[in-house]
Amino acid sequence: MVRSTWKVQRCLFLQTNELGELRVRAADEGIASKSSSIMFIPAPGSPFARCLKNNELIEMNTAITEDSLASLLNEGFKSTQKYLLVPVTGEARVLGMIILGPFEQSQEMRSKESELRSAGALCAVLSAHWRLYDWMSQFIPQVNHELRTPLTAVQGSIDMVLGGMFGQVGSEVKQMLEMAHKGCERTVRAIEDYLHNQQPKP
Amino acid sequence: MKVLVAEDDPDIQIILRMVLTRLGKCDVVITYQGNEVVPLAKSNQPGLILLDAMLPEMNGFDICQALKADDSTKNIPVIFLTARSMPAELQRAMALGAAGYLAKPFDPMTLVGQINGILQPLGASIGV
Repeated sequence: MVRSTWKVQRCLFLQTNELGELRVRAADEGIASKSSSIMFIPAPGSPFARCLKNNELIEMNTAITEDSLASLLNEGFKSTQKYLLVPVTGEARVLGMIILGPFEQSQEMRSKESELRSAGALCAVLSAHWRLYDWMSQFIPQVNHELRTPLTAVQGSIDMVLGGMFGQVGSEVKQMLEMAHKGCERTVRAIEDYLHNQQPKP
Repeated sequence: MKVLVAEDDPDIQIILRMVLTRLGKCDVVITYQGNEVVPLAKSNQPGLILLDAMLPEMNGFDICQALKADDSTKNIPVIFLTARSMPAELQRAMALGAAGYLAKPFDPMTLVGQINGILQPLGASIGV
C-alpha cells in the first residue's frame, strides 16, 4: 500500500528489537525473499541510527551504507537519487523504520512528512502484531518443554514401578500409583489440547 | 550396543540409564551438555544417540546437523527424545537426518520397543 501510494521502486519495513538490531519484516515482492533474513545493528551516527534515536525523517542522498542492504538496494541507484528513512513510532517509542525510494534528489519530500509518518503509524500496528507472534512462538514451545519434562520423570517412575521393574507391588499401592498415573495422563492431554489450540499464526 | 544419551534433566537421566541398561542391555554414556555430544560421539562411536532438543550450550538440532556433517558420526542413528513436540520441530529434526522422534513423556517400559521400531528398518536393535 505504501509502495503504490508513493510510487516508489522499493519499500521495506525494518523492525527494531530490545538489542537494537534492525530486521527486515516486510518488503515489496521483488526483494521479499532476499530480504527476509537481513538483520543488522545500525552503526552509531549512521542514518539508520539517527532515524531510530531521534525519531527523525532522514533523506539519504547517498547509496545505502549498510552492507547487507546495499546489495539489495544500491543496484541501479544513481548519484542524483535518494532514499527516505521514515521512523515507525508507536507505544511512545521508535519501533523501526520504512525505507522508501529511490526518489530523485530534486523531489521535495519534507512537505509530505506528516503523510509519511502516518504510513509509519500503520506499520506500528503491524509491528505490535509481529512482536506478539515472536513472543508466542518462543513462549509456547518453552511452556510445552517446562511442563512435559517433570511429567516425564513422574510418569516414567510410576510406569517402571507398575511395570514390575522393581518387583511386584501390593494391590493398594498399585491402585494409588494408577491414580497418580491417570493424573499425569490427564495433564499431558490438557497440555496437548491447550497448545494445539494456541499455535500462533503470523 | 553402546548408546549415547544427551539429556539435561537428572531425573530423566536416571530413568533412561536404568531402562537402557536393564531392558535394552546397552552400555550407556550420558551427557547433559550439548557441546559435548559430537566429541563424545566421535570418541565412543555409539550405535545410537538419544538426543534432547533443548540442551545447554548447543541445541539438539544444531547437534544433529553437526553429527550428520561429520564423516565419523554421520551414520550413527539419532533419535530425538524431547518434550518439544510441535509438528514443525518434528519435521525439522527429520529434515536434519534424524532416524526418528519420540515425545516426552514416554513410557519407560515400552521405550525399548519404540526405539527398536525406529532402528530395525536400519538393521539394528537393542535389548537382544
